[in-house]
Amino acid sequence: MVTAGPPTSTPEPSRTLAPAARVLWRIEGLGSAVVALIAVGFLQGLVGGTWALAGWAAALLVGAVAVVVVPELRWRRWRWEVREHEIDIRHGTLAVTRTLVPMLRVQHVDTTRGILQQWLGLATVVFHTAAGANEIPALTVAEAGHVRDRIAELARTADEL
Amino acid sequence: MSSDDPPGDAGPGEPPLSSPVTGIAPRRLHPAGIAVLALGSLRELALPLGVALAATIFGGGSGQPMLRAIVYAAIGAAVAALAGYIRWTTTRWSVGEGRIRLRTGVLSEKETDVPLGRVQAIDTVHGPLQRLFGVQGVQVQTAGGGRESEITLPAIRPADVELLRAAVRRQGGPGAAAAAPAALAERRLGRRRLLVAALTAGQVGVLLPLLAVVPQLSEELWGNDLESAGREGMRLVPESAPEWILAGLALLVLAWLVSTAGSVLAFAGFTIARDEDRLRVRRGLLARREATVPVARVQAVRVVEGLLRRPFGLATVHVEVAGYAKEAAAAQTLFPLLRRAEVEPFLAALLPELADVIDGLEGAPRRSLRRYVLPPAALLLALGAGACLAVPGAAPWPLLAVLPGAAYGASCWGAAGWRIEDGRLAVRFRRMARITVLAPAARLQEHGVRQTVLQRRARLADVEVRVGAGTAAAVRHLDASVAGRVFDALRREDVVFGLPPSEPHRQSARTAPRR
Repeated sequence: MVTAGPPTSTPEPSRTLAPAARVLWRIEGLGSAVVALIAVGFLQGLVGGTWALAGWAAALLVGAVAVVVVPELRWRRWRWEVREHEIDIRHGTLAVTRTLVPMLRVQHVDTTRGILQQWLGLATVVFHTAAGANEIPALTVAEAGHVRDRIAELARTADEL
Repeated sequence: MSSDDPPGDAGPGEPPLSSPVTGIAPRRLHPAGIAVLALGSLRELALPLGVALAATIFGGGSGQPMLRAIVYAAIGAAVAALAGYIRWTTTRWSVGEGRIRLRTGVLSEKETDVPLGRVQAIDTVHGPLQRLFGVQGVQVQTAGGGRESEITLPAIRPADVELLRAAVRRQGGPGAAAAAPAALAERRLGRRRLLVAALTAGQVGVLLPLLAVVPQLSEELWGNDLESAGREGMRLVPESAPEWILAGLALLVLAWLVSTAGSVLAFAGFTIARDEDRLRVRRGLLARREATVPVARVQAVRVVEGLLRRPFGLATVHVEVAGYAKEAAAAQTLFPLLRRAEVEPFLAALLPELADVIDGLEGAPRRSLRRYVLPPAALLLALGAGACLAVPGAAPWPLLAVLPGAAYGASCWGAAGWRIEDGRLAVRFRRMARITVLAPAARLQEHGVRQTVLQRRARLADVEVRVGAGTAAAVRHLDASVAGRVFDALRREDVVFGLPPSEPHRQSARTAPRR
């Protein structure tokens, strides 16, 4: 795949998320699609007629895109890398965002698992700086634990320097 | 520990310390603390009390509502006073064994324990009440502290403040700096400056929605019981367009007055002094505050040129301090009002660590101008079109809103800029105010680049940096290759490896050719 985002001489991050991330995002997309369909159904009750039909079509189209296309694109775009002195993240479909967080600035790091993630055997690594939190979502549980420990370790050594 | 402490270093005329070895024996606050604590309780009671009062006065019912209201108010005051007294009797503080202790609590006891070595600063507050009794409120600032200081002593004798400071000094913690620090530089906000600063404070935008509620509220309140007053009030509701405009203007002036008064209260007597490794800020008319900021914790400087100040070439200087972000904007002010040209020498004198030139930034390329102009112009055009549909007869005029939209976009383009030099980053952007962020590249919390699909086709990209919880800055629509180079230049590997950061930055970023 062609490198996304503006050209930099910083090496691109290479690690991907767990393949099951797509399943997770599909289920989440399905959730919002169902909400959209319910909204359209509600509108049909109010308006009725051909306009509502167009509404159904639009909702179905958006739902299909959210369930089928977006998770795939998102997964293909997501890259991350934990280096000795920094965490490098690249993600986004319509807008590609590349973020570098210096290890020295990482205050603490933890993993979280929602219900869906538990079911799929996934976990999210969240690392906090004074400016806020960043995350690497949907890694396998084993890998997430490993990444969390490694970031914690590197952040500590960075502080001692 | 330090048994050789001179017992009398608290100053002449002081009673000898009750336990010279450990510092300050457990003691209560000054009795004035009762009043201060009671006032605090009253503030906590204010909302339920206000509701009760409103219900009594406007809720109808039998009897004399005013009398009952007075009774309720008296009960509230009595409860607050009692609460203040109880809190005072159950509060003890002491210094010993290298720590400051605070024990409070009636039912559940709470003991806070701060090692003297962790104390960053002893900040003081002289509110009107404290000044009446000749005491001071003290906030013990610690490293890594959250939004509030861990130990707050609302009223202690000035002599005790000195003892506390002496104890911190002896301990040699970060707060120990210079026994009687001689200020290296000092700046004071004069009266005329204060007035100008207050008049141009421009918190109007914040206060307007608040004031807009007032007439509604008063209508709610008086509409019920005082029928005639309600009818008077109805007559005050504007009916025609000019009246609406007049009412709007009146509201604006009122908001402006409130904002001005607030600024005078907050910034009167503003003085900032720099000693070896800390900044000391004194400010406030009614409540005089003294705060200390360790220079090592300053993450960034923000030079803010507000909407009302920019035309006169005036600016405010703010600091981003680790751990202070949640505090009031006034607490982050380094100086309330400077001429633009004065900012540089001011920083050079008081905060040379972060001082930098605020001009001469690399702007966004000319071809990105339309990307700045289009979105706000389109938004305001759409709003104008909506207004045209909603208000019949107003037809073409609301569409003119497109002009200020476009002007705003163009000024955002003009403001955008960046520079990396000697490891120092300068970024400028405009929200309503024009903001220039100065920060050492080594103190960034994170940085990134962002490129949308449309930007990709045009070879443009945004640069984003976060300096702290309160300072995120973005320069939009830079040349993609430039954005990539900024991204590389801000990488910290060189800094971490202990190389001087100046050379690689200079090569990679400063010499960026402009396309």
